Amino acid sequence: MKRKYSPARLRDAGQGYLFMSPALFVLLLFVIGPILYAIFLSFNDVQLLGGTSYKFVAFENFAKILDDTRAKIALWNTFKYVVIVVPCQTILALILAATLNAGLKGEKLFRIIYFLPTLTSSAVLTLIFMWMYNQNGLINNLLSMIGLPTYNWMGDPAVALNAIMIMNIWSTAPFFMVIYLAALQDVPDSLYEAAELDGAGPIKKFWYITVPNLRPVTSFVVIMGIIGTFQLFDQSYIFSGGSGGPNNSTLTVVLLIYQYAFKNFGTMGYAAALAFALALVILVATLLQRKFSKEESLY
Amino acid sequence: MKMKKWLATLGTVSFLIGNVLAGCSNGDDSASGDATNSDQPVEITLAGWGSSPEESELLKQVLQDFETSHPNIKVKHEVIADQYMDVIKTRLIGGEGPDVFYLDAFEAPGLIETGVVEPLDSYVTEGFDIEDFEKPLIEAFQIDGKTYGFPKGYSTLALFYNKKMLADANVEVPKTWDELLDVSKKLTQGNQVFGFGQNPELARLQFIAESKGGDIVKDGNANFASEDVVAGLQPYVDQHLVDKTAAQPNEVGAGWTGEMFGQGKAAMVIEGNWAIPYLQSTFPDIEFGTAEVPTIDGKQGTMAFTVGYVMNSASEKKEAAWELISYLTGKEGMKTWTSKGFELPSRKSVAVELGYDKDELRASLVNGARYATVWSDGKNLPVIFTNFNNQFVSAYLGDRPLDEALKEAQDQANKEIEAQ
Repeated sequence: MKRKYSPARLRDAGQGYLFMSPALFVLLLFVIGPILYAIFLSFNDVQLLGGTSYKFVAFENFAKILDDTRAKIALWNTFKYVVIVVPCQTILALILAATLNAGLKGEKLFRIIYFLPTLTSSAVLTLIFMWMYNQNGLINNLLSMIGLPTYNWMGDPAVALNAIMIMNIWSTAPFFMVIYLAALQDVPDSLYEAAELDGAGPIKKFWYITVPNLRPVTSFVVIMGIIGTFQLFDQSYIFSGGSGGPNNSTLTVVLLIYQYAFKNFGTMGYAAALAFALALVILVATLLQRKFSKEESLY
Repeated sequence: MKMKKWLATLGTVSFLIGNVLAGCSNGDDSASGDATNSDQPVEITLAGWGSSPEESELLKQVLQDFETSHPNIKVKHEVIADQYMDVIKTRLIGGEGPDVFYLDAFEAPGLIETGVVEPLDSYVTEGFDIEDFEKPLIEAFQIDGKTYGFPKGYSTLALFYNKKMLADANVEVPKTWDELLDVSKKLTQGNQVFGFGQNPELARLQFIAESKGGDIVKDGNANFASEDVVAGLQPYVDQHLVDKTAAQPNEVGAGWTGEMFGQGKAAMVIEGNWAIPYLQSTFPDIEFGTAEVPTIDGKQGTMAFTVGYVMNSASEKKEAAWELISYLTGKEGMKTWTSKGFELPSRKSVAVELGYDKDELRASLVNGARYATVWSDGKNLPVIFTNFNNQFVSAYLGDRPLDEALKEAQDQANKEIEAQ
């Protein structure tokens, strides 16, 4: 019988790992290590400043989450945000991509214009939008010009989160549009031709051919969207000056994690537990999405 | 043969990795040494946040003076532009903290308790004259009788009023809070110009909240839902909701009350020293005066904000670090530092020497130092303050009654304190 680990095979494997070692080293140090450390932290009561100390508390940090009003508010805000932003940005991206793919004049120019928001860094974007959301800013002026009510976008708890949603849909939809655009080129023309022979109009073609054929891409876009939106931090951080206000209306889970980790003393362990819980929520949401969308191709 | 090659490669790689790792830890060796027993100049680091160009220029001047008078010490000034406390805490944890750094009185108790700040009592000499500091200011850096830092300066709040608007409305500068409420009615024009610009956050409100005898913090816990505190704050909220003669900056599209005042959207605001150079340079056309904050029930009150210099207890150059602190907060250094009026001197003798108590705009600020509430109240204030601000806004906007909002915020704050 052939031995499983011959010297030659061992040598081959050794060489393989040797060449991988720089990458493995970096991964261990900067990716796997921090994850393990965060998991370790989440089970401990941690004091980092002035003589680091750890106290094992088992699941106490996780139990605390259930008793934390702000954590509930943060989770609810984030959930609202995901449920509204993900469908909106996906549909908008699909519509933009479909119009660009329809063969209209000036297509390339529009492609560039549509894509521009993605190129701006989200921090800069937030600052620009804060100017526009100003009480006397562009958006309120436009609204009053066409006779719609104006809002105190940044100071009113009832609309502050919506303001961030609008901003984020506007800035991320174009990115997913590009992905859709690439996928649209792959839809076989023969299907459209066959549909035309059967007398289908443009809307029917879009609904019965384009949308089903894009299903794997839609699944990808939605999953990326869910992950991205659950991690909302920078926009609400800048918008509220780090507080999650007004009245906790822009408090997201990641912002809360940041506050517990860096603003309060001695709650690093609790922050790690929150982060861990968020990772679980994202995992569950992604699995659910995959289950319901049936990623398999149609053919 | 092949095996040997393999071993050689492995050896070389591990040697290289070893070198890289060793390289990381070698850095500090050359920098140690102490001011007292070496001819080599000692380099110490001073960290602070950024400020206006004029103010940085002034600090550079003070540091140069220090280096001239202390030729064996060099100061490396580091500016932490954003998220100052986060950066400082992270660096202190990593053992890379600066030798001397700014510390806001508001954050001081919490940081001091962790033991990363060096007590300075053993360094202080007779000539330093601690008695000269304004008492409330230095108390913000004292815990259990030990002094951990010295205030580099301070600012109090005063009433800023627009001279033209008050003259047009034919009203006097209010001396009491009731007068302020009355005067605001005459100064308000619809929803564009308000009599009084408000700042609904605890850092500006503490003295108002405590004016009826209540306490924001009691035994380290949040106590702002007590009847006395609610009674103190209710008139402030009512002025916004019932009288509609006051507004916060974002209701008129301004970023802060100073800007609101400068744009002419508020006839009166309560602001600090920093607003004076801002208004003079950004809104040169506006004619404004300052007065002491109107009295509430006959009692004077205002807030004081102060920042001190503290020493990192893990510093290896403590003697030199103390030399720097004692110069910066000493009579000579402070005189230069506060000479342009960006900050007010925390030493009484310097204030007298520079004549700020007679300055037209700053006298009311200096006078406030005697009775001011210093913005520093134990190590839990940051938690208390975040929760207060968050819920107070909902009451301020009229979403729900003040006592209910504050009760909920207080419970949440105390839960967070318990969890620490």
